[in-house]
Amino acid sequence: MESTIIKSRNFNASFGTNHVVKNVNIDIPRNKVIAVMGPSGCGKTTYLRCINRLHELIPGATSSGEMTINDENIYQMHPIFVRLKIGMVFQRPNPFPNLSIYDNVIAGYKLNGIKVPKAERDRIVEYSLTRVALWNEVKDSLNKKGSFLSGGQQQRLCIARAVAMEPEVLLFDEPTSALDPISTSTVEELFHELKTNYTLIIVTHNMQQAARVSDKTAFFYLGELVEYDETKIMFTNPKDSRTQNYITGRFS
Amino acid sequence: MAQIETELQLLKAEVINMWTLVNGQLNKARLAFVNFDKDLAREVVLKEKRVNGYELKIDRDCENIFALFCPVAIDLRFLLAVLKINTNLERTGDIAEGIAKYVIEAEVPFSQQLLDVARILPMYEESVRMQEDTQEAFEKEDTILARGVFKKDEFLDEINRASHKVLERHIKEHPEDTAQALWILSTIRKLERVGDQAKNIAEEIIFYLEAKVLKHRNKFV
Amino acid sequence: MELRSVKYRIAKNYGFKALVMIFAFACVIPLLFILFFIVSKGITQINWHFLTRIPKPVGESGGGIANALVGSVLIVLMAVVIAIPIGILGGIYLSENKKGRLAYWSRLCTDVLQGVPSIVIGIVAYFWIVKPFGFSALSGSIALAIMMLPIVVRSTEETLKLLPSSLQEAGFALGMPFHRVIFKVIVPVGTSGILSGVMLAVARISGETAPLLFTALGNNYLSWNIFGTMHSLPKLIYDYSTSAYDEWKNLAWGASFVLLLWVLLLNLLTKLITRKWKVQL
Repeated sequence: MESTIIKSRNFNASFGTNHVVKNVNIDIPRNKVIAVMGPSGCGKTTYLRCINRLHELIPGATSSGEMTINDENIYQMHPIFVRLKIGMVFQRPNPFPNLSIYDNVIAGYKLNGIKVPKAERDRIVEYSLTRVALWNEVKDSLNKKGSFLSGGQQQRLCIARAVAMEPEVLLFDEPTSALDPISTSTVEELFHELKTNYTLIIVTHNMQQAARVSDKTAFFYLGELVEYDETKIMFTNPKDSRTQNYITGRFS
Repeated sequence: MAQIETELQLLKAEVINMWTLVNGQLNKARLAFVNFDKDLAREVVLKEKRVNGYELKIDRDCENIFALFCPVAIDLRFLLAVLKINTNLERTGDIAEGIAKYVIEAEVPFSQQLLDVARILPMYEESVRMQEDTQEAFEKEDTILARGVFKKDEFLDEINRASHKVLERHIKEHPEDTAQALWILSTIRKLERVGDQAKNIAEEIIFYLEAKVLKHRNKFV
Repeated sequence: MELRSVKYRIAKNYGFKALVMIFAFACVIPLLFILFFIVSKGITQINWHFLTRIPKPVGESGGGIANALVGSVLIVLMAVVIAIPIGILGGIYLSENKKGRLAYWSRLCTDVLQGVPSIVIGIVAYFWIVKPFGFSALSGSIALAIMMLPIVVRSTEETLKLLPSSLQEAGFALGMPFHRVIFKVIVPVGTSGILSGVMLAVARISGETAPLLFTALGNNYLSWNIFGTMHSLPKLIYDYSTSAYDEWKNLAWGASFVLLLWVLLLNLLTKLITRKWKVQL
């Protein structure tokens, strides 16, 4: 029996008068990888950014409906606490360019003014970098700036930075679309390992990626959640004809 | 139109061509058999090469589409069905060739009484109709027509089951027909397999259109 | 294409390139003239006495520009202290708010302020600060700070606007409140741009004379009191260069040289800082 960690009920989001997410009802199960796919402009990225309340930072952006984590309403919690429980990795790797690799990993603590003893800090950095398979590659150059790493390494550094905060959920916004194929597969391998400790929600443009890495897939179209099912079923026998048309490439 | 759609349509056309050829082979073998026409039989044997050629081409085309397009859902099921249909058609072609070879090697035409008793001609006609029905079901994506094939197969099974006893009795009464009777028995088995092939193909068609697997199950679903 | 027309276009290209280079060189010539003039006239004045003595009364030789030097340094320093917080915070506000009433009017006022003649600012400072409180170095600093503001605000705003929004988002996603995102993420990365804006503003006001005429006035003696009148290099140059006495004229040349050196050094420092602190995004 899998438990649900994030629930959405009648969730809507808009940019001013532009209604981009319409009445979404979805249950995200714990410790699984959920892929969210759909054509451009279907609302999937907006929905993702509503989960950790980044959406409301844009002027004119509004949302309504219910979104809960562990049955607590996300929109009644303080946004800071929400974002400490729900981490995010972005499309273009964005390590802080003025900080070293070490400082980047514990940036969530250091820049937030949370005091952590040195031994504990070292442990967090080593643990986080190990989880993203970066420790062996950078352990001798922790003081170098993060911007000297390759694209794939930078993205893994960003994942380590998010993991260091010990969140429950990790959100990924097209995490490999700016990476080359080898870095992409390295990051995809991580998803399988990370799900033992975290719940992963990944927005992706790449259907094969959704098929490869996820347990369940949600298909968004024109702002609506059209279909949400086990990935195996989605890709062998989807129920909705719009889903079928999308995944067979009948419209992009 | 997406590239994959074009490829799938071309593939479907190939399969239909192969099917038409195989059905033609079956019919010709039947006519050769009924009219004891050795020339027609030789034609069938010659054309068997083309059937094999089709099988190889269709296998290769499927492989290419898998590799290049990563098909999913209905496209994936269609390709899996085509692969199996391909094999079944090829076997049906083999059977038609086998029948034609018998006709070539036979020294005298078959005794009419023997043919009537074994009911081989109606069986033959029904099996050809089954193949034609499945071809139409494939072309028109008609699952009702595909399901109708299962019932027809019962008819073939019945004749097959009865043939053993019927021919045993005939051999006792007309020992001079033994060789022919044995040949007729073997042909009946072959035709029963043709019916089975058609049934398998119908199952594949229903799988690809409805994602329902009917193999190894009670047929009346 | 015809060969003749191609040749013509190539020739035209060369001609244009030559014209551009000539004009570029022409821009450098005035600076070279000034440098040459001032260096040749002023460098002979520089010695330890020059820098540490106040001007002597007419007739006596010796003397230096100590009071003016100290005065300029103090006044500029105070102006920087006043202008930096307001300017940088203002720039941060404008970079965060692209639309909105307050942002629009702030931007407009800043741009207008940049064009206000320095003497007008001086007069305004005279009426608002000197009249009630008397002449002082502080009032001079305030006037100079007002002149610095637009440069600091605009350069801060432009620097921060150039930073990718993903930087901010990374900060927010880590659970940082807004003020921490600004001061711990955005500003550190934009430091080199902000700093170079500040240095340019300082270089600009170092040589301003007009505002100081009505505010700090001038002082013949060495003074450290910011609430009283104070001398400054521009004021000294203004007074002595048109005087009839050669010793004073020489002091003016020396002071010009020092001022020029100061501005050149500031510009050089700006370049060095920008290169060293520039963050590779």
